Amino acid sequence: MTWKRPLAVVAAFAVGASLAVVPAAAAKPTITMSGSTSVAPLAALLAKKYIADCGGCVTFKLLQGGSDVGISDVASGRVTIGNASRDPKPTDPGGLVFNKIAHDAVCIVTNKANPLPGIDEAGVQAIFGGSVRSWSSVPGSSASGTIDTFVRTPASGTQDAFQKIFLGSTRLFSGASQKASNGLIQQSVKADPNAIGYVSLSFADGLHTVPYKGVACTERNAKSGQYGGQRNLYMVTRGPATGAAKAWLKWITKSAAAAAVVNTEWVSLQ
Amino acid sequence: MAARGPQTAQRRDRTDRRAELLLGALAAAVLLLIAFMIAFVFAKAWPSFAHNGLAWFGAGGNLDEQLSAIFNSPSDPSDYVYTLHAWPLIYATALITGISVVLGTILSMLAAMFIVDFAPGWMRATLQPVVRLLAAVPSVIYGLIGILVIVPFFGNQVISAERKESVQYVIQLDGSSILVGVLVLTVMITPIMVAISVDALRSVPATWTEGAAALGVNRWRALRTVGLRAARPAIVAAAILATARALGEAIMLSMVTGSVAFAPNPLDGVTFFFEPARTLAAQIVDGSEGLSVKPFGETMYAFAALLLVSSAFLSFGGWLARRSMRKYTLAPR
Repeated sequence: MTWKRPLAVVAAFAVGASLAVVPAAAAKPTITMSGSTSVAPLAALLAKKYIADCGGCVTFKLLQGGSDVGISDVASGRVTIGNASRDPKPTDPGGLVFNKIAHDAVCIVTNKANPLPGIDEAGVQAIFGGSVRSWSSVPGSSASGTIDTFVRTPASGTQDAFQKIFLGSTRLFSGASQKASNGLIQQSVKADPNAIGYVSLSFADGLHTVPYKGVACTERNAKSGQYGGQRNLYMVTRGPATGAAKAWLKWITKSAAAAAVVNTEWVSLQ
Repeated sequence: MAARGPQTAQRRDRTDRRAELLLGALAAAVLLLIAFMIAFVFAKAWPSFAHNGLAWFGAGGNLDEQLSAIFNSPSDPSDYVYTLHAWPLIYATALITGISVVLGTILSMLAAMFIVDFAPGWMRATLQPVVRLLAAVPSVIYGLIGILVIVPFFGNQVISAERKESVQYVIQLDGSSILVGVLVLTVMITPIMVAISVDALRSVPATWTEGAAALGVNRWRALRTVGLRAARPAIVAAAILATARALGEAIMLSMVTGSVAFAPNPLDGVTFFFEPARTLAAQIVDGSEGLSVKPFGETMYAFAALLLVSSAFLSFGGWLARRSMRKYTLAPR
């Protein structure tokens, strides 16, 4: 029995020592981020480029969890930056600064078997509001039968943006199927020939994107400002950003390198 | 030897006492933790219950619109919106859990009887490890199969266009339905029930069933009248465990049924089974993005509190049921 004990002590020391080494090596400033799953892929690409550009001047930690998670994390000081894909709301904690970093297009999508040639505001409101429920009464549709509408859960940033940009005061059809993520909407629309839904542009692969008011939902049309379904992406700080975070936010909004990264699938502000 | 005897006994005694104290402290810590958790959840949930009173449990209005209104509450805490009628969620939880557990109990009973008494040796040797493996599969895998295969199959092949049209202004039948939820949930909870029932049936003394056989009863009847009856407490325990798992199942149900806060109506006939619903646990998963909005978070805690209470009632009910069946067991528990 007794010989096991020193061994366990040694093991405990070894574990403790290896843990202690890690923070000691990271003397550089660390920027921690959490929040929106729509912003996270962009933030990761930007961080990688930033580290390469400034010669590893900072380290990043990136967590996900939804816009509201990011906002409450930054408000309580758990992270340096909270990522958000929705505009500020009256219930948000005071003292937060919403730093706009990019635009993102929200696309109306249908199954590839039903390449709808276009839709206008009234059409979107009729379909997602539930007053038109049959594809046969939608002009240009090659599908027949009932329309299956897929929307996001009320607490999502994309849902918030969709309501503001496309629906206005129209109330969402109460029978619409709610999904918890962009990816689940993508999957559901891909599997259902009668489906219509909306996703962030970077999730439109494998789906037909419906031109809105005659403008196709592409990265180029979003950049030129012609495409109407755009929303803002934010990095939220508690008070104005300082130190390493300030330099990082300035790099995102001012440098050409950052703009090139943003313009791969999002729309730069520059 | 004679001199050391009592000393060793004494030392063993002390070691026992130490172990007893340590384990007692651990058990007390667990109890304390549970008490804190319950207190925390209820404290967080209180505003939602207090604002709605008994109407919280009732039906009325569109739950999704109520949740949206709560999520978009104005900033002033005195203007927070809490109005909520959670009936569709409660109903869906009871419905899906209830049907799955009843189906699962019947299936697992038959499977366990087959494995114990009728299966040839080689089949038993393969079936048992497979059942144990199935019982350990994480629920998200069932959810993935559900959303990638079963939901599209029902939506595109099984549910007819006429059926979809008949209710199209009320609800959409896209495949995610209580039927798929019940199917997948039943598959999920049955293996653990089979495993427990097999152990229980096997622990019935052979003399009992042999006694029945000696009286001229066939194998099936002996198993049904003697074996099953003797194993009843364990079967109840298995059903309770399965119900608890079904009640708490969130991710899978959020993926295959958790689409609309809708209360399916049994009067709709066959269409009823194709209608979507959302359970309490699935609602918490779906709403987790909005936890930082205070009134919305408190509403989610209220759903969690209801789940906690129902699992407490479940344990209590299971204890009562086992107590009343004590006469069937071999030894007092």
